[in-house]
Amino acid sequence: MEHPEGEGNHGLEMAIKIEKTFRVDEPVEKVWAFLSDPKKVGVCVPGAQITEQVDERTYKGAIKVKVGPSVTDYKGEVQIVRKDDAAHEIEILGKGQDVRGKGSASMKMTGKLRAVDGGTEVINISELNVVGILAQMGGRVITEVSNIMFEQFVNNFKKQLQSPDAVGPDTTTAAAKPISAVGVAFSALKAAVTRHSGSEEAKPEPTKSPGDPGAK
Amino acid sequence: MAKKELIKLKINGEEREVAAESRMLLVHFIREQLGLTGTHVGCDTSNCGACTVLMNGKTVKSCTVFAVQADGAEIMTVEGLPSNGALHPLQEGFKEEHGLQCGFCTPGMLISSYALLKKNPNPTEAEIRWGISGNLCRCTGYQNIVKAVQFASKKMAQGGK
Amino acid sequence: MHKTSAEISGMGHSMKRKEDGRFIQGKGNYVDDVILPHMVYAQMVRSPYAHARIKSINTDAAKKVPGVLAIITGEDLAKANLAWMPTLSYDKQMVLATGKVLFQAQEVAFVVAEDRYAAADAAELVEVDYEELPVLVDPHKAMDADAPLLREDRTEKNNKIFHWEVGDKAATDKAFKEAAVISKVNALSPRCHPAPLETCGCVADFNKATEKLTVWLTSQAPHAHRTVFALVGGIPEQNIRIIAPDIGGGFGNKVPVYPGYVCAVVASLTLGRPVKWIETRSENLQSTGFARDYHMTAEVAADKDGKVKAMRVKTLADHGAFNAAAQPTKFPAGLFSICTGSYEFPNAFCEVDGVYTNKAPGGIAYRCSFRVTEAAYLIERVMDVLADDLKMDPVELRQKNFIPAAKFPYKSPLGWTYDSGDYHAAMKLALDTVGYDALLKEQAEKRKKGELMGIGISSFTEIVGAGPAHTFDILGIKMFDSAEIRIHPTGKAICRMGTKSQGQGHETTYAQIVAQELGIPAKDVQVEEGDTDTAPYGLGTYASRSTPTSGAATAMAARKIREKAKKIAAFLLEASEEDLEWEPGKFFVKGAPSKAKTIQEIAFAAYTNIPPGLEAGLEAVNYYDPPNLTFPFGTYIAVVDIDKGTGEIKVRRFVAVDDCGNIINPMIVEGQIHGGLTEGFAIAFMQEIGYDESGNVQGGTFMDYLIPTAVETPHWETGKTTTPSPHHPFGAKGVGESPTVGSPGAFVNAVVDALSHLGVKHIEMPITPWKVWNILKEKGITG
Repeated sequence: MEHPEGEGNHGLEMAIKIEKTFRVDEPVEKVWAFLSDPKKVGVCVPGAQITEQVDERTYKGAIKVKVGPSVTDYKGEVQIVRKDDAAHEIEILGKGQDVRGKGSASMKMTGKLRAVDGGTEVINISELNVVGILAQMGGRVITEVSNIMFEQFVNNFKKQLQSPDAVGPDTTTAAAKPISAVGVAFSALKAAVTRHSGSEEAKPEPTKSPGDPGAK
Repeated sequence: MAKKELIKLKINGEEREVAAESRMLLVHFIREQLGLTGTHVGCDTSNCGACTVLMNGKTVKSCTVFAVQADGAEIMTVEGLPSNGALHPLQEGFKEEHGLQCGFCTPGMLISSYALLKKNPNPTEAEIRWGISGNLCRCTGYQNIVKAVQFASKKMAQGGK
Repeated sequence: MHKTSAEISGMGHSMKRKEDGRFIQGKGNYVDDVILPHMVYAQMVRSPYAHARIKSINTDAAKKVPGVLAIITGEDLAKANLAWMPTLSYDKQMVLATGKVLFQAQEVAFVVAEDRYAAADAAELVEVDYEELPVLVDPHKAMDADAPLLREDRTEKNNKIFHWEVGDKAATDKAFKEAAVISKVNALSPRCHPAPLETCGCVADFNKATEKLTVWLTSQAPHAHRTVFALVGGIPEQNIRIIAPDIGGGFGNKVPVYPGYVCAVVASLTLGRPVKWIETRSENLQSTGFARDYHMTAEVAADKDGKVKAMRVKTLADHGAFNAAAQPTKFPAGLFSICTGSYEFPNAFCEVDGVYTNKAPGGIAYRCSFRVTEAAYLIERVMDVLADDLKMDPVELRQKNFIPAAKFPYKSPLGWTYDSGDYHAAMKLALDTVGYDALLKEQAEKRKKGELMGIGISSFTEIVGAGPAHTFDILGIKMFDSAEIRIHPTGKAICRMGTKSQGQGHETTYAQIVAQELGIPAKDVQVEEGDTDTAPYGLGTYASRSTPTSGAATAMAARKIREKAKKIAAFLLEASEEDLEWEPGKFFVKGAPSKAKTIQEIAFAAYTNIPPGLEAGLEAVNYYDPPNLTFPFGTYIAVVDIDKGTGEIKVRRFVAVDDCGNIINPMIVEGQIHGGLTEGFAIAFMQEIGYDESGNVQGGTFMDYLIPTAVETPHWETGKTTTPSPHHPFGAKGVGESPTVGSPGAFVNAVVDALSHLGVKHIEMPITPWKVWNILKEKGITG
């Protein structure tokens, strides 16, 4: 006679999935030209820089992430896995290792554009996988940090679209500035605390698959 | 070598002036610069309370305070529990009621209980449990610690200091 | 047993503890309190990956940090043949990683600096180039054909550690074939961690001038550690002194030898200065000896009236990357075969398979009595499943199957001879104390109203006191233990034992044994443990073995002293030994009680008026080889109420009736029970060290690995029965781990009982409100 709870899988799926949709007041083709060029869109990712183009689909890059006092410098590769100019869909895979050997991260990002009244809707689905010390914080910190990074990304994206020559604080290729440590940590804490009192679902338990914590 | 700051504080009633790096934690300062090892380190995420001391009359986790923040402050550690040459009623209570086994959480428990009884001299069991909820213990299961605090509360009410 | 006066304070007195004075004044001497001249500090660099090849390690930047004195890597240790060390399970373990890393937080480099902050700065700057390898975290997949190979250092190229079995398979299978009823449960004992409040660490001090190595060590077994250091390090054993000072809790965490200890010794040998290494809590939770991770299946065959006929157990044991479990050599699954519990099984068969995974090494820890926590949990769960299948009261089922008191010593089908027991008496006391019949009525009424209330029983049998030399050894060293007693001219005493208290109160309890045997007031008996230069050889304190082994040795040594004291008394009283009688504290002439000599007078005479033919002095040493293990037991009953809206479980009552034979100090025994129940409570409801698919530790700090506070810890009601051990010198059995062995079963049985009318048969630990809420949601009980 079996029992309902069973042995279960005691490994947690640590891929953080974030799905966000935002709107820009620019025509689809203009947004597509921007989004499908890693050299252009990479500049919008806070703390990141594209350092070299290896071939048509592959670029070398780096990103500096600071959470509290902990700085992680990831160096790695960004690859365009799939690009559909007609449907305005792009899939990018970024993989990086911490230069000091503290861990690694990989992110699969799918971007889809849809023409809407007076502009373009950008649908972004990201799947982030982190290995190392940061991952021990669990979905808690990583999800919040990712959300904050995404917000900054969206702001930069919109600004870049409007005035391509604008040089924001994160666009220098010389030395990419890390995301503000205190700001991120405090925002993450605040977001985590307020999130639990809101309507968002409870944080994932280690013995169950968390599903999609960021989904609405 | 990192710059050192001069910290002036009153520790267990004694004025001291000792230098330390600005990033030094108060718990390390107390244990190593001041030589008072009664206060312990039990974790690295501010959860366990083994490092609890009184700072300007309030309990703080000294692992989450920088030594420089104690400049100009009054600190009491377990070594400074007022005793009139004997033992503080709380210390007596911990011994009488078997409120300790390995002793590692005990200094923090004593400080937290001391602060609790100062604020609330006659606490209920629930109030005691809340009062020491910032101090983890692995050995006793807390039941006898509660009795120890009740012992002290009674003794102090009867005028024993 | 004759109870001595309160002044002598022998057995049975709740004497206040002698060791308390220093702890309540903050004057304890824990390893991190040791501060030596010219002492330096060390920090470990650890792997962020669960499985990866090390391509290179660059320490250039780290070495430039002011104050850094040395950075040791696996390559450095390999030159001295120290990159690997033996484990307590005859496996080997990397001290510092060479070639590859096998679990997240594995030790990779050891940084030594003038102060701890410089060491931390430098550790941050050590650059390691890793190449990630596929990760294995699911033990069920360890033996798959395509599973990653973890241990390239072994000749066997697979992830299998051992297969172990015991019992009569044929007879058991036959009994199952013929059985009227078969009940089964898959039960997980999740990976958790003992987490004593003091983490592990050491101060290694090699004195170049004297060539002596002194190591202050968080050790539950200082002599065994000294011998291991001597064998592994090639240092002459007489030149090694291990001092285990005050230990802030052990619970099995401080039995293994950790890489940090070896590195600190190497650093001290190299630098000629004392090296302090104290791990952080994160390091403790993520890399030191974990507990459990037993994936178990139990089947019980019974007749239709509930009389059990056979038990069959199959277990998958996840040992992490190295088999560092600390257990007697002949028992790779510890004493797990106690899994037939308190019940009379005519047949049983048990098999355990151990595998490697990319997780921290270990397995035996956390007040487990060598896997008895797993075994007791399993049998108590499956008996409840059987009771549920038969629609029988779980108390009735247990009482029907208890080994009757008259049948002791009882030989179990898995090979153990239980010394004594009276399960019915303990059960009855527990039932009466908790008011079982009234609770059943209450539950029935509550169920009608849709309220969730559960009653959980656990009638466990423990097995402790390892152990007889014919069967028990660790790394070849037999598991005797020892006591040395010396009486001073003024009638006071000093004793040293081969065990090592980490809070169990030995400075008081051993003194009480001497007081009982010799009538010297316990307050006059000084007890020391933990210094290998002075204490007789012993195997240390874990698995509830101190009272059964060293306690026995103390009594035996005291009795040797009494024999000599009798000779001295005879001489002083000018009587023959046959004419003397003893009462605690004095010998007197039969029929003439005023013609007496106190033990103090006898002690004085041993130095000042020695009988001809006798040596001066009054002392003895005993190395005790126990004839058998001892078998404490008990019945625990938990009453829980579940909040339908949140799934929160409130433990309304918990009654613990324990039988540990004759008790030395009731106050200390009660304290042990409180503490052990609280750990069992934590294990049942809130503790798990999980790993995600990439091998990232979840639950690696106290933010996620939960320790109960005073607020959620229930109030414990304790009671006792007394069934002495027939073979122990004073009938005692040991008790420290009984509460952690017996309680998880009671808690889980109670929660399942609260939900059994909804069809719930089992819930895996830790039983969190989230888990319960999901069940309630699934059953339509809550929105």
